[in-house]
Amino acid sequence: MAGEIREIAGFDRLIHEPARLAIMAVLSACESADFTYLENATGLTKGNLSAHLSKLEEGGYLAISKGFKGKYPHTECSLTPEGRRAFASYRKQYLALARRLGK
Amino acid sequence: MTVSPDVDRLIRETRRYEFADGLRDLQLAMLLGLGGLTAWLVFEPFWMTFVVRMAATYGRWAAWVGILPALVPPLVVLGMLGVMRVLRRRWLWRESGMVSPSRWAVPRRVNVLSAVILLGGLAVGLGLLKLGLVDASFLLRMLWTATGWSFGYTLLAMGRHLDLPRYRWLGLTGGILSTALLFLPLPFAQSSLVFGLLWCAMLAGSGLITLRRAALYRGAAGGG
Repeated sequence: MAGEIREIAGFDRLIHEPARLAIMAVLSACESADFTYLENATGLTKGNLSAHLSKLEEGGYLAISKGFKGKYPHTECSLTPEGRRAFASYRKQYLALARRLGK
Repeated sequence: MTVSPDVDRLIRETRRYEFADGLRDLQLAMLLGLGGLTAWLVFEPFWMTFVVRMAATYGRWAAWVGILPALVPPLVVLGMLGVMRVLRRRWLWRESGMVSPSRWAVPRRVNVLSAVILLGGLAVGLGLLKLGLVDASFLLRMLWTATGWSFGYTLLAMGRHLDLPRYRWLGLTGGILSTALLFLPLPFAQSSLVFGLLWCAMLAGSGLITLRRAALYRGAAGGG
């Protein structure tokens, strides 16, 4: 059991937080998604989503491009190569642990 | 959000989003329909005669007219991409948000297996021809049948991978109907046309039904 706890402690904290994990999961499945899609898919509020996106951007996992579509502001997010690698490695770790705990 | 998110569901739903409004089906329907039509036209003797006559009348450069039909399907598909973007931005995805899909909708092994099915079909056709069991027209028809098997398998795998039942049915039905092409005594040009129109009809039907559902869902959700 101590091994498993040590393993959980070794998870990437930036991704392990549920809201950020949901954002990373959505963005890992596409090239990019806009703010509206992320808001709908994750069920987060605008403020909350914005805060988590900023944290992921600061961590180098996310690239955010802001612009306008017509008169409206438009925010598009995509995972950086580092973000994709980090998410893949997190998933691998998580699934391996889940398999062991399931035995 | 305090509970752990269902990561698999989020990934699947985001991948499926690209196919949820039926526009991809319509784009594929156009590609295959026009592809079949072009192959039919290019291999029909009257087209060859027309190109040769053009070259004889207006000079050798006029023979280039002969390859113009081959440019139509890719140009229409590119145009359709633009139409899809506008439709989604202004109507279908206005409320739910825009997503740029990943380049590959299925794992690489599906693409590899799909290529193996195509080449395997052709190898079987060649083998039967070498053994003298079939004639050359069988091998040409096998080209379309194997393409149908390969494409059907890709759709089937997409249906399984993205949990899209309509793609499973399309893949299965298309694969079986493509097999029927082998037994129709048609020349290559006509079997190309039948192949293209067959897939075009199935994909267009599936796309239109899905698009109608997406539009109704938007209407019910107050999206107009």
